[in-house]
Amino acid sequence: MLELTDIGFAYSAHNWLFRHVSLCLNASEIVAILGPNGRGKSTLLRCAAGLLSPQEGTVRQATSIGYVPQSNQVAFAYSAFEMVLMGRARQIGLFAAPRQRDRDSARQSLERVGLAHLAERPFFHLSGGEQQLVLIARALASESTVLILDEPAAALDLHNQKRVLRLLRALASQGLSILLTTHHPQHAQFLADRVLLMYGPDDCRIGSADVLLTEANLSALYGVRLCAITFEEGGTMRQTLAPVYADD
Amino acid sequence: MSVLLTGEQRKPFSGSQTAHWLLVAGLPLMVVAVGIAALGIGRYSVSPEQVYRILLATVLPIEPTWSETDARVVILSRGPRVLLSMLVGGGLALSGAVLQGVFRNPLVGPQILGVSSGAAFGGALAILFGLGWVFLVSGAMVCGILALVIVYAMSQVDGRAPILMLVLAGVVTSAFFTALVSVLTYVADPYSRLPAIVFWLMGSLATATYPKVVPAALPVLIGGGLILLLRWRLNILSLGEEEAAALGVRVQPLRWLLLVAVAAIVAGAVAVSGVVGWVGLVVPHLARMWVGPDHRVLLPVTLLLGAAYLTIIDTLARSLTPAEIPLGILTALVGAPVFFVLLRRTRGRGWVDA
Amino acid sequence: MMFRRLSCVLTLLTLLAACGGQPAADETAAPITAQATAITVTDQRGTTLTLDQPAERIVTIPIPAAALMMAVDGSAERLVGIHPSSAQAIEGGILGEIFPEARTIPRDVVSEGFAPNVESILALDPDVVVQWGNRGSDLIEPLENVGLNVVGLHYGTQEDLETWIALFGNMIGKPERTTRIIDWQHNSLAEIQMQAEMIADERPTILYFNRLREEMRVAGSDTYNDFYIQLVGGVNPAAEVTDFVTVNAEQVLAWNPDIILIGNFDEATPDDVYQNPLWQDMRAVVNQRVYKVPLGGYRWDPPNQESPLLWRWLAVLAFPEVYTFDLRADIRENYQLLYDYTPTDAQIDQILHIDLNREAAAYERFINR
Repeated sequence: MLELTDIGFAYSAHNWLFRHVSLCLNASEIVAILGPNGRGKSTLLRCAAGLLSPQEGTVRQATSIGYVPQSNQVAFAYSAFEMVLMGRARQIGLFAAPRQRDRDSARQSLERVGLAHLAERPFFHLSGGEQQLVLIARALASESTVLILDEPAAALDLHNQKRVLRLLRALASQGLSILLTTHHPQHAQFLADRVLLMYGPDDCRIGSADVLLTEANLSALYGVRLCAITFEEGGTMRQTLAPVYADD
Repeated sequence: MSVLLTGEQRKPFSGSQTAHWLLVAGLPLMVVAVGIAALGIGRYSVSPEQVYRILLATVLPIEPTWSETDARVVILSRGPRVLLSMLVGGGLALSGAVLQGVFRNPLVGPQILGVSSGAAFGGALAILFGLGWVFLVSGAMVCGILALVIVYAMSQVDGRAPILMLVLAGVVTSAFFTALVSVLTYVADPYSRLPAIVFWLMGSLATATYPKVVPAALPVLIGGGLILLLRWRLNILSLGEEEAAALGVRVQPLRWLLLVAVAAIVAGAVAVSGVVGWVGLVVPHLARMWVGPDHRVLLPVTLLLGAAYLTIIDTLARSLTPAEIPLGILTALVGAPVFFVLLRRTRGRGWVDA
Repeated sequence: MMFRRLSCVLTLLTLLAACGGQPAADETAAPITAQATAITVTDQRGTTLTLDQPAERIVTIPIPAAALMMAVDGSAERLVGIHPSSAQAIEGGILGEIFPEARTIPRDVVSEGFAPNVESILALDPDVVVQWGNRGSDLIEPLENVGLNVVGLHYGTQEDLETWIALFGNMIGKPERTTRIIDWQHNSLAEIQMQAEMIADERPTILYFNRLREEMRVAGSDTYNDFYIQLVGGVNPAAEVTDFVTVNAEQVLAWNPDIILIGNFDEATPDDVYQNPLWQDMRAVVNQRVYKVPLGGYRWDPPNQESPLLWRWLAVLAFPEVYTFDLRADIRENYQLLYDYTPTDAQIDQILHIDLNREAAAYERFINR
């Protein structure tokens, strides 16, 4: 669905942000990119989405990308429905206006994320989580099979985090490929099939989430100690990774 | 958060979509009614009944019950004036709305971007050299677009135009061209050229004639038509460059297309009417408060509302007193307080965007 | 301590005495010659100037002042600097032919509008600068700050015009000429007023256009044009507004004037009126009573030294049956008075814009038979 081959990005000559990153994203797969601030997670994501051109390597997309940006400051009071409708830009001609099937598609997308009842509400009136869901709906309306999300659930409370995460998992199970960045290892644990850890410009490791998401790896990645906590839920043993903020 | 988040005031008829659409559909009729009413008002009195019959006579054969002078007043004197006020008012309002969308800022109007000052300079230059019509209009247009190019180039930072840079660039460009106009007034022959320049700068439709309608109509209809075709795309453009690009819109070409259309309209308007402000700023706000920010509805409504608005004001300008009140003065006197009220209603929230 | 203070005071006193001493010395010497040539001039601001002798180098900034000075003086000799618009009127009118030397008078005395170009004026070394007195201090202060004598004029009425004549005459030491010129103004005024009172006919409405082509500017009440319209017995339809205002064609139509006067401040002609499709049925157009105001020693529309000729011109056109002036003879006679010059018939034709006004009603009265 999406193939990154040996891409590298530099702000200026030889000042590489990251290099030799290769990634192949398949259907129904979720890949999470983790790393501290400034390692180039967002840049990598934007390269994957086609918004930035990498200095090295190639990006190949089988279909159009549904890009879901982080936060959204809108200049005008568009309704949630109007926002989602804008996702149909690729389907609507330059001088044309949305038609019935575009409107249907938008409505369906809103239903898919569970927000059909908020269609007429102004977007800026919605909660952070609802806004995120609307933006996801917009990406869905564009009939993309690849979603690329920049820190979804970043400024959200726990309840909304859960909403967004569960939706993403559901979408993946419906066949979409999902690539996201996140600051929360727990989110990666919950969602990702594979993870990409950005240790440094020449040190990016990609592999199965179960394998790579360990205390040692993540503590080294963030420079903060993380502790694996095991708990029981519904008869199964689960694990979550929590940061430890106490003095070393 | 930007100023125009007036969700509270938006769509007062959201309870009744039908009523909403009825009103919006009735708007063109209202504009026509305003135009016809304007044809019946003036310093020389012609009774409404006669006006009606005179107008009817343009399409049907009717026995004249009016004098030749009456007909000339309605058709030759008021006719082109009403037509021009509609074109200029609609064009300026539409331009204001488009600029507000493109630059994602509801406080933007044609004045702010320097296009009006540029066009004013181009026209004043033509008057200074005693050149005719064609030069006045083309001069106004070229310089109007030039102003836009300068503003755009000046405001680019890392490939996008942050709002603050844009406003600063506009202020600088506007000031630059205004200074150039001052130079022109300084060197102009105080006997004949200077009064002509000064009068034109204040904005007036007093010298409206049918030939003048053409250079106004062409850019407004063509540019306006192009803009209306792109009105849904403008929604996406107003999200910001990156998001629009992510949604598959080619931002730069689209933006340029819209801006050139706007520059043509504004320059055309200035060419025939001088500098008329406060229309492109205030009317889009009123329209947005009424029908919401979706440009599919907003742009046509703004166009029509602007046409009616300026026609009403120009009718006042030419018939309130024996003296002609310059149009630019009246639009400011009316527009500034209205804008103040609008700002108060949105509680003057800051408009600097991310 | 006390000594130092005392010596300071003494030094100061000596200095003061020394400074104050000089004029005292002059004053004792002055009286013999001072009374003979020293002139006291009080301008319309109320400021008094003292000139040692009649002014010989004069700069004029108000546009009508140059021609007026030439009339009062009977020559252009004293003018060393004039406003560019005055120069234009001189070149365009007959004054340039009567006083050819007037064409070369320097004209860069203003920087913009009426704002004085102080450096240029200083370079001309004038005795007096004539300037508008009630249009803002920044027209006068720059001049007085460098020590120039300024005579301030106020614009508008017949009284003002006569005051200017008196002022100028006083400044250049020609009281007899002044008296004659003012008497002529008074007598003409009285004569017309007397005749105007006895008019029983209906009074025509007379509209004056200060500008017509790019903008329509008419004279309302409180203008000199309004004054002479009423003087000859006419009515100013624009009197409902004050001062000069811009109007549109419809308003003119609504006023429907009997007579239209076109001024000399732009290139408009009676044809501009006759060819306006909106005005075809207007009385002035139908009766062909559209006239371009004459341009003699100065434009006849604003107050000027030839104003009595304008009054007579307008009187005849307004009431051809009542007034019997022989305008051409009047022009010859009064140019003799003002300029010591007899204009030729061709020149009089030019002054009266015969070429533009020939076909107009009653104008045959002014055409040479």
